[in-house]
Amino acid sequence: MSLVLAVEEFSPEHEFVLDPWVPFELGPIDLSINKAVVYLCLGGLVTILFGVWFMRFGLSLRPSRRQTTGESLYDALQGQIAEGNLPSRAIGRWFPYVASLFLFIWILNLIGFIPLPISSEKFHAFGLDLPTWGIYAATANLSVTLALAFITFGATHVEGVRYNGPVGYFKSWIPAGAPKPLLGLIVPLEVISQFMRLVSLSVRLYANMLAGHMLFLVMIGLIFIFSSYYLIVPSILFGTVVYIFEVAIVVTIQAFVFALLSAIYIGGAIEPEH
Amino acid sequence: MDIVLAATSDEGLASLGKAIAFGVGVGLGAVGAGIGIGNIFGSMIQAVARQPELRGELTGIQWLGFALTEAVVFYALLGGLLAYVLV
Repeated sequence: MSLVLAVEEFSPEHEFVLDPWVPFELGPIDLSINKAVVYLCLGGLVTILFGVWFMRFGLSLRPSRRQTTGESLYDALQGQIAEGNLPSRAIGRWFPYVASLFLFIWILNLIGFIPLPISSEKFHAFGLDLPTWGIYAATANLSVTLALAFITFGATHVEGVRYNGPVGYFKSWIPAGAPKPLLGLIVPLEVISQFMRLVSLSVRLYANMLAGHMLFLVMIGLIFIFSSYYLIVPSILFGTVVYIFEVAIVVTIQAFVFALLSAIYIGGAIEPEH
Repeated sequence: MDIVLAATSDEGLASLGKAIAFGVGVGLGAVGAGIGIGNIFGSMIQAVARQPELRGELTGIQWLGFALTEAVVFYALLGGLLAYVLV
């Protein structure tokens, strides 16, 4: 067919290249401002505005539609994530954390599927160099999800030690009634499983978002790989299906699961008898 | 045709093998997760059919199970990608 479409080689991984825009290095640590940082700041800002807009002002006994939305969201978070997983004496302290974790990840994931002009690639229009519109999710970056998982990991052990004392807490890692001779085998396994939580929590979110973006880009990119006009209809159709599936289901579930597992881990550390 | 040409050089053969291994690995991971997700939703349907009043409580558990199972594919995907890039 025609080769006009194949302008340049198709590389979907290009979306995830992070060029330092404001180089800033602290010794060996690279703290440059790049695309992921901009997306994170945007996500934080939108999360704050979202919370303030839905839950902070103009509250009345006869709720408006805005207040009803905020209240039902709050209710869903409280009922599904916090209650039953966090012990009742810790719910006041840790419900705000898991709820804002959910909102933050949810909004970061959603922003990742809206095309925004935040990119280091440029195109020419009206005599100006404008940034290309593209999609990128900050949660499709292992550093972001690992940092979030580290907060949960730290909170888990700090709270466990604070509520149960160091001896009681670390004893609670060993399952009750484990036979003595097997302790040498069980203790390392339990310690490893604590660290595997860190890996599974972060990699689940990261890989889900990465795979979602890759799938979408590859679906669209089939047009360019085979450089055929015949593929435009099916690949845009499948791309749309993938996009809707990601935005409607995966984005919310992954945020929900991250917050839910955080609540379960923290609750389990506070009351290890369960 | 390209595949036959690629297999004639050592480098091409290596990348061919890596691509096949990546595809097979992710595919097998997807098989396991597919069975698991099918089980979860099947059990959910049975549970709701038997006790419809429990639907609200079960939904949260269902999505948790779904996400935990689905993540297995992505472990396979990540492992495959790592092997593909590093080996």
